[in-house]
Amino acid sequence: MSQPFIHTEHLSYSYEDGADAKQMPVLHDVSLDVARGEYIAIIGHNGSGKSTFAKLLNLVLEPTDGKILIDGQDITSPDMTDDDLLALRRKVGMVFQNPDNQLVATVVEEDIAFGPENLGVPSAEIRARVDEALAAVGMTEYARHEPHRLSGGQKQRVAIAGIIAMMPDCMIFDESTAMLDPLGRREVLEVMERLHRERGITVITITHHMDEAARADRIVVLDDGRVLRDGTPEQIFSEPELLMEIGLDVPQSAALVHRLRKAGLSLDGEVGTPEACVETICRAFAAREHNTLVNG
Amino acid sequence: MSKITLENVSYVYGEGTPFEMHALRDVSFSIRENAVTGLIGHTGSGKSTLVQLFNGLTRPMAGRVLLDGADIWEKPKQIKQIRFRVGLVMQYPEYQLFEETVRADIAFGPKNMGLPADEIEARVREAAELVGLDEALLDHSPFDLSGGEKRRVAIAGIIAMRPEVLVLDEPAAGLDPRGRDRILTQVREYQRRSGATVVIVSHSMEDMARFCDDIVVLARGELVMQGKTDEVFAHADRLAQVGLNIPEISRVCAMLRARGIPMDEGIFTVDAAARCLERLLGATDGEGASTR
Repeated sequence: MSQPFIHTEHLSYSYEDGADAKQMPVLHDVSLDVARGEYIAIIGHNGSGKSTFAKLLNLVLEPTDGKILIDGQDITSPDMTDDDLLALRRKVGMVFQNPDNQLVATVVEEDIAFGPENLGVPSAEIRARVDEALAAVGMTEYARHEPHRLSGGQKQRVAIAGIIAMMPDCMIFDESTAMLDPLGRREVLEVMERLHRERGITVITITHHMDEAARADRIVVLDDGRVLRDGTPEQIFSEPELLMEIGLDVPQSAALVHRLRKAGLSLDGEVGTPEACVETICRAFAAREHNTLVNG
Repeated sequence: MSKITLENVSYVYGEGTPFEMHALRDVSFSIRENAVTGLIGHTGSGKSTLVQLFNGLTRPMAGRVLLDGADIWEKPKQIKQIRFRVGLVMQYPEYQLFEETVRADIAFGPKNMGLPADEIEARVREAAELVGLDEALLDHSPFDLSGGEKRRVAIAGIIAMRPEVLVLDEPAAGLDPRGRDRILTQVREYQRRSGATVVIVSHSMEDMARFCDDIVVLARGELVMQGKTDEVFAHADRLAQVGLNIPEISRVCAMLRARGIPMDEGIFTVDAAARCLERLLGATDGEGASTR
């Protein structure tokens, strides 16, 4: 197997509580590999450490212990220079939760140019990158608009374009759909998945929406700073009791198939998304019909 | 009995300017007393304007808003009294906390009502308990709390006014599943205990299906549907037509029907869908379907 794009080894993070200088552990001993081009969802209740994990990956926070390799480079090494850090932030981009806190310029295209400008990209190329990034998120016609007049979903798409313009290998979405209405959520999800599909960008999405997590290739469940489960949506959502216990839930589709299986019905197939669930149930009907024909 | 009634209410933003926008057009409906009503609609459907009309934060440009049968704008100078009777919890209310302690924040509303100190303290405790805030937290700064706790402080601040109508705009937005269930369960519990009328605005059809007795559907400033929760979700197709989501489970049922499986109409909970499928699949089960 080729080298993972992200490799963490016994990663831990704790912070000092201001009041009594107590060490508050947030993340314990997290060892994970993420392959280049993977689409991963990280789920966990509030305080489970999922945002902290994301922030460690591009050193918004520095780990207390353990090692992180990005694309083979040890970013936790003391030899990391400022240039290395800049290169890392370019490679691993982050989109945050609040659409109102991420845009800095007064015109959409200037906001998108902000990142590449800071990287010292020549201005002719910046123009090309901005246009391309706008097209990638479907916001070309808003190039000259004022960001504050956009909807939440549009603002998030501009924030995404700002990262695209830096040509990242990996994008982390830290609850980027949490404050959006259903339409905005759909817009952001579509863009996120298209970037993964068409450009092979490694996508890590942190979410409280189980139906969003169900769309990823792989789900990592964090609980109290530890990796509790790591598997396909099918595997993860086949344990609804466990997820409930740690304050999460499963998509209704998965809950339905689980209920039917518990009632003794035999259902083979995937369950995470509504489409998969429908296929699985239809297969059971087909099997029943077949058996009725065979057995009379 | 209806607690709030809207009669032919219209509201226009920026009237007479190029930005003129009809937020509500001739909307009439009632909110049932002693029940939880869910208000659903897209962003821009007029929901937020509507909730501000309920407690007199905005005044209708045409039509009337009645509380217990009386026009709330009959005496405009007394509109403040209406705001004590109809409590509004806005979206992301945790950004509106400002006092030094949780206690002071929850006490803000009752204080404005001019209640005596011991009454205020009693209400603060009662409201904190109702939303599941530990008493020890009352002396903390609200800014030291977690997001979910802050949200509950903000809700407690409204509940402490003991409003006859509690209106919550997206009370569970951004919370994790446990935090979301907790807040919605507490709101239900508050309704049951106090007999208050509750209105919840939410984009989550799954939550609405689970926690509301009645549903009001708005689209582009007009009333689309109103009724008991099961009646409204039975018209999933109609909801889809106005571009609204339906609960994921209703969507699964519709997709199954399209594949020729005779699912019952009007299913909007996992329980009901499971029962229906058990019946359909179980009929000739026994020896047959176990192919595993």
